[in-house]
Amino acid sequence: LRRLFALLLLAAMPWVMAAGCRKPAGASGDILMDASIAPQPVRAGAETVAFRLTNAARQPVTGTRVQVEGDMDHPGMAPVFADAQEISPGSYRAQLNLTMGGDWVVLFHITLSDGRKIERQMDVKGVESN
Amino acid sequence: LTKPPAALSPSAEEKQRAEVEEEFPEAQPFDLLTVPVIGPLLRWRHSRTLLQIPLLLISIVMILQGLLGPTLSPKNLATVLTWVHFRGALVLAILSAGNLFCMACPFMLARNMMRRLVRPRFNWPRRLRNKWIPVALLVLVLFAYELFGLWSSPWLTAWVIVGYFAAVLVIDGLFKHAAFCKYVCPIGQFNFIASAASPLEVAVREPEVCDSCSTKDCIRGRRDPSSTLVVLERGCELALFQPAKFGNMDCTFCLDCVHACPHDNVGVLSRLPAGELMSDPNRSGIGRFSRRNDIAALALVFCFGALMNAFGMVSPVYTVEDWLKRVLHFNSQTMALGILFTAVIVIEPALLLGLAALITRSWAGVKSGWLAIAVRYAYALSPLGFGMWLAHYGFHFFTGLYTIVPVTQNAFAEIGWPILGNPQWMLVGLPKTVVEPIEFGFLLLGLAGSMLVSWRLAQDDSAKHPVRAFAPWGVLCVILFLCCVWLMTQPMDMRATMMAG
Repeated sequence: LRRLFALLLLAAMPWVMAAGCRKPAGASGDILMDASIAPQPVRAGAETVAFRLTNAARQPVTGTRVQVEGDMDHPGMAPVFADAQEISPGSYRAQLNLTMGGDWVVLFHITLSDGRKIERQMDVKGVESN
Repeated sequence: LTKPPAALSPSAEEKQRAEVEEEFPEAQPFDLLTVPVIGPLLRWRHSRTLLQIPLLLISIVMILQGLLGPTLSPKNLATVLTWVHFRGALVLAILSAGNLFCMACPFMLARNMMRRLVRPRFNWPRRLRNKWIPVALLVLVLFAYELFGLWSSPWLTAWVIVGYFAAVLVIDGLFKHAAFCKYVCPIGQFNFIASAASPLEVAVREPEVCDSCSTKDCIRGRRDPSSTLVVLERGCELALFQPAKFGNMDCTFCLDCVHACPHDNVGVLSRLPAGELMSDPNRSGIGRFSRRNDIAALALVFCFGALMNAFGMVSPVYTVEDWLKRVLHFNSQTMALGILFTAVIVIEPALLLGLAALITRSWAGVKSGWLAIAVRYAYALSPLGFGMWLAHYGFHFFTGLYTIVPVTQNAFAEIGWPILGNPQWMLVGLPKTVVEPIEFGFLLLGLAGSMLVSWRLAQDDSAKHPVRAFAPWGVLCVILFLCCVWLMTQPMDMRATMMAG
């Protein structure tokens, strides 16, 4: 019985050790983002990603460099990239070419005017195939 | 100590060998163990451990990355290695050589380390000495993969690996021999069925040498004469007695028999891929395939599971699920997927094989019952199933081949040690235009294998009307092949089902 107990303890150890190890998703900062993708429903092909960046005082964040990256949620697929253009103070737009249907994750690699780098993420579920 | 099977009389063995020699008279098998460098390396008694150590280390890295690394699947080693590289490399290794993953299995290394501390006391229950548990587990794994979108979650993928280690430690900590490999492991059963199509097999070199062998070390192992508690060489833990072993079923390529044989009479020999499915000898540790409904069910899950697994990755699956929900008035994703799985993995094979067996029985005058005929021919579908697994996993493997580079660069960068430079995310893999012809090549290879096996079985079943006996199975193979082609030409649409709900 003692051996059995030791065995079960050994098997359960990785669970105990890893409990609570998961990374918290979506770390927040003083930069807020409101993003959308159009047209809806989202289909494979060219899609426009529009987003607005504001600071804690709700003032537009201007002069940032933003690279937009689209990844399938399945590993091994080619990511797509686009550079966002600032179309009005704090408002940005980028065109992403979603290469297939499925669940996508859009990452925003943001370099602020003061050189700080932050990342934001938007999930785009159920992109329809053509 | 394991007793060699008593049922295999010398006359039965001789008959079995004669059958093989008659079928392949010109065969002078190539022996991998005679190849310079590779041969001596494999014959070294620690060769398996040498192969297992890197995989164990990689598994630990995958668990840590899965739990602590990036949450985005394409950027995490756990998901990239498991769902792109490991699966693809596994089926390609089986196609080009043999069951190399089981040979290098990291779970067995952990088990061996554990068994230095804990000695198992029990024998695996007699009633469970069959493949029904792993059949159910294989279906469960395929179902969970779709339902929870395992490919999209590094965290869940890491827990699957941890769970696997835990299951191995518990089961092989309690039960003697390789109970986990033979009666539980779903990956192992997948490998066993797939490796029927492998070109290599661990087999006896000179059957006459075994006739004069009195020690049977290949299955009994060898112990220290001064202390029977000390095992000098382990015999086959999966109860495969080399002189009566036929084919790759249940063989983990551990090479324990190679190391144990005092006559150096066990090699890794070449053979006709899928040839082991063309006859039905009494196999050591298994019996006759035609009397093993459980292994036939495994072959069917292997074949139809390949279709279901690919179907879950293309657009039409969502149309079918929505249609099911509308018609049957429910909104549960789990139920929709459950109905689909039941239809594809249970009802579809039952109907198709039942019908084909009835036609063979009535049209070709085969005297066996329809179920016995269906069981016998179920194995013939496994090459086609393997072709589909190769096409599917090969697609992800080749099109995502180089993704391991940026993901590894990123893993180093994440721990603050960017020695491999900035992640080159644009490194992906071979273009689809190159990979697609390879996919169709795999499918054609599978079709050819299934047709050939069906034909040989039909020849045995009805010497008078072999074409009639073969026709329904040939048609079934072509129908399944066309289903595979249709699936591979559908637009990919990968959604994590539970999340899409």
